[in-house]
Amino acid sequence: MINSRLRRCGVAEVLLVLSIVILVVVVAVPILLIFGNAFITDDGFNLKTVIQLLSQPDTYKALKNSLVIATGVTILSTIIGVFFAWLVSRTDLPFKGTMKVLFLIPFMLPSFIGALAWKILLSPRSGYINKLFTELFGLEEPLFNIYTLTGIIVVESMYLFPFVFIQVSGAMERMDPTLEEAARISGAGLLTITRRITLPLMLPSIVAGALLVALYSLSHFGVPAILGTEVGIYNIPTKIYEKIYQSAGSFESIRTGTILSSILVSAAAVILYLQSLVLKSGRFQVISGKSMRPMLIKLRGLKIPLLILSVVYIGITVILPTVTIILVGTLKTYGLTIAPENMTINNLKYILFDWDLTKDAIWNSFYLSLAAAFVTMLVGSLISYVIVKMKVRGKFILEFLGVLPFSIPGTVIALGVILMWSGRFGINLYNTAWIIFVAYIARYMAFSLKSNSAALEQVHDSLEEAARACGAKHWQALRDIVIPLIRPGMVAAFFLIFLPALRELTTSVLLYGPHTRTLGVAIYALNEDGETVYAATLATVALVIIVLGQLLIKRVTRGKEESLGA
Amino acid sequence: MKKGCVLFCSILMFLCLTSAAYAEEKLMIYTSMKESMMGKLRDAFKKKHPEVKMDYYSAGAGKLMAKIATERQSGKLAADMLWHSEVPDFFQLKGQGLFEKYVSPEAKYVKSTVTDPDGYFIPARLGTLGIVYNTKKVKTPPKGWNDLTSPEFKNAFGIANPSLSGTSFMSIAMLVNTFGWEYIQKLKNNGAKMGHGSGQVVDDTASGDYKGSIGVDYIAEDKIRKGANLAIVFPREMLVIPSPVAIFKGTPNLNAARKFVDFLLSKEGQTIVAASGTLPIRSDVPIPKDIGLMSPADAVKQAMKLDYLKTMKEKESITRKFESMMR
Repeated sequence: MINSRLRRCGVAEVLLVLSIVILVVVVAVPILLIFGNAFITDDGFNLKTVIQLLSQPDTYKALKNSLVIATGVTILSTIIGVFFAWLVSRTDLPFKGTMKVLFLIPFMLPSFIGALAWKILLSPRSGYINKLFTELFGLEEPLFNIYTLTGIIVVESMYLFPFVFIQVSGAMERMDPTLEEAARISGAGLLTITRRITLPLMLPSIVAGALLVALYSLSHFGVPAILGTEVGIYNIPTKIYEKIYQSAGSFESIRTGTILSSILVSAAAVILYLQSLVLKSGRFQVISGKSMRPMLIKLRGLKIPLLILSVVYIGITVILPTVTIILVGTLKTYGLTIAPENMTINNLKYILFDWDLTKDAIWNSFYLSLAAAFVTMLVGSLISYVIVKMKVRGKFILEFLGVLPFSIPGTVIALGVILMWSGRFGINLYNTAWIIFVAYIARYMAFSLKSNSAALEQVHDSLEEAARACGAKHWQALRDIVIPLIRPGMVAAFFLIFLPALRELTTSVLLYGPHTRTLGVAIYALNEDGETVYAATLATVALVIIVLGQLLIKRVTRGKEESLGA
Repeated sequence: MKKGCVLFCSILMFLCLTSAAYAEEKLMIYTSMKESMMGKLRDAFKKKHPEVKMDYYSAGAGKLMAKIATERQSGKLAADMLWHSEVPDFFQLKGQGLFEKYVSPEAKYVKSTVTDPDGYFIPARLGTLGIVYNTKKVKTPPKGWNDLTSPEFKNAFGIANPSLSGTSFMSIAMLVNTFGWEYIQKLKNNGAKMGHGSGQVVDDTASGDYKGSIGVDYIAEDKIRKGANLAIVFPREMLVIPSPVAIFKGTPNLNAARKFVDFLLSKEGQTIVAASGTLPIRSDVPIPKDIGLMSPADAVKQAMKLDYLKTMKEKESITRKFESMMR
């Protein structure tokens, strides 16, 4: 017994050290380098230049825009998300099941492709919708100018509201109906019940979803890059991108990037802290042991209008942009009217077979996300095992490092990886696929840990102990008991990383080299180069790949609970 | 153990994938030329020199220079050659000793507004910029630079961002040198806007977002041939911008780089350049007449003058002044 415990200790220590080393090298050091570069210069700790940089109008404006956009997106997404969540889970809306699935589709659509579509539809003079209205009604001014803060907020909200929707509709379905019934029996009206009972009960989930949106929007690159930079609207991630790529990659610009990144990380930390407070205070209120369905509100005459509203909403936010992208992708050149004689299949042929840039991009994204998902899944299960199952000292370091990636925006990870892997420490991965690979591991480690530890927590210690008691070695118990049991969690982790990585833009746009453009970067670069049509064609290809990937997931993880979220 | 094995295999697979293309001679060109021309040049070069695996990275001059600066800091330059239109950059990099000297046997045929007597870079194409306008939106086609200050182009004329686009920077420098900053102010007063890269302003003109823009010959030409509602006119005071090509010092692919310079300057290479809709630097290749390109000799004669060394020193201040005027 003592002997076996000693040996177990040996394995445990090795695993612990290994996982700490991986997390430190991939996650912790790059982040520390960011802070180090931001606050420490040749003459020690230096706050003066930090303040100096922040008071420059362009950095200050970027900061302000980031806050305005994040606030606007959070409010708008919350309103949309809560309303539709209420509609599909608490009313007698027809086709609720289908509608619920439909409301999750915006999640699949990469938001920068959405932004590209809305640029084509609503750019002030040439947007198809604006043109239609100016011609029909002889308007002098365009109907809506998408190149504004409002435009950015609306487009981002369209694709981020599912964060709130998922949280809130889940909570509404699990809600204890007796509370509402008690209020009703005591004579309260529908309005009072909603105000005094339902909303307070829902508040934790609403806030949790809203904070996820805020976190995401604060560090979002794609939409502001496509809709904002052309008219001089920058947020922090697009400003960092501009600093690094346009003002020459001098140390000064990298330093500005690190300072802006430090602000992003701090803001994200505050948001995460608030979220943990909310989740802690709200946990016991929402979950009820009973599986009773809450009473449904009868919509009566509003049934059909609200159904139409939902369908129109999906039509405008999902179908219209998708169709626009597909159609524009077939045009001979940008600016022609969409008509059969102006369409061609040659764009697709050119993108898939003739143009190295686009061919490489598809291939790069494919193998990078495959490799990153695979490795992150394995490393994540290793680390989760140590966190969840092992009783060793020093585990808290792992727990802390494991949570860290949740709060680190993609832009910051990219900068950290540049500082770490561009030759300063002996290894130079700059311009290679490896640098994107390590960045992806850091970026998606949180997903893997979440999924793997959830699976591991369900495996009772006694199973492994039984195997050990029957004489199995530690690795035998792992191989024969633990791994088969957590395999679904590992598979889920794989896909949770593979699909987002496939369409990744925020991180890879700072890391790509001449041979290593990813799908997202290629679409973005084509749009920037004034090849709007080819950008749309490549976006169509990306959409097809994403849809196929989603279908594959459905097949593989059928019957398992969807674990979206961060 | 299975886990370890799988991990090992995946790393092995990854290694294979990333190193699959290591063969023969390689060549990486950083260029601001677009796919519509580079694609054809690459295909023809590959046919002639199948032993060289040539590739290029296409982006605006500003981005290329930033990338080169970052790569120099990290100690590893990924490019073997540089080819873009911001001539002062070439004088500057030459001054920093970054280029390899090479005088191609074809060099004696080159006719251009600027050359490097020391042989560190050589123009490989004469970019001409004109007024690109949307044929559906503009009723009276512009003829000269002064037409851009007319109500026809009110709030709808675009100029690419000079910190992104080399041709745009050169155009602004030349316009200022010829007509003074007052001209830029007049454009601004008429509501002219600063757009993004040189490709995007032309695309935005084709879509109708701008009625007109200062556009590069072959970028407009490519879209006109595909049926865009665009036309390009060249005012009498011409914007002629040579795009030099240079080889980086210390490149491991010096031989391949020299082959490419020779090919690019040869009659064959310049015929492809001309066929793409931009001016060749040789006078012995045919010029397509369909978009109103003139002969290189005439273009050089009509070209606006510019002191390149002086412009190199003023680059930063010109860009700043223009940006602050347009914002």
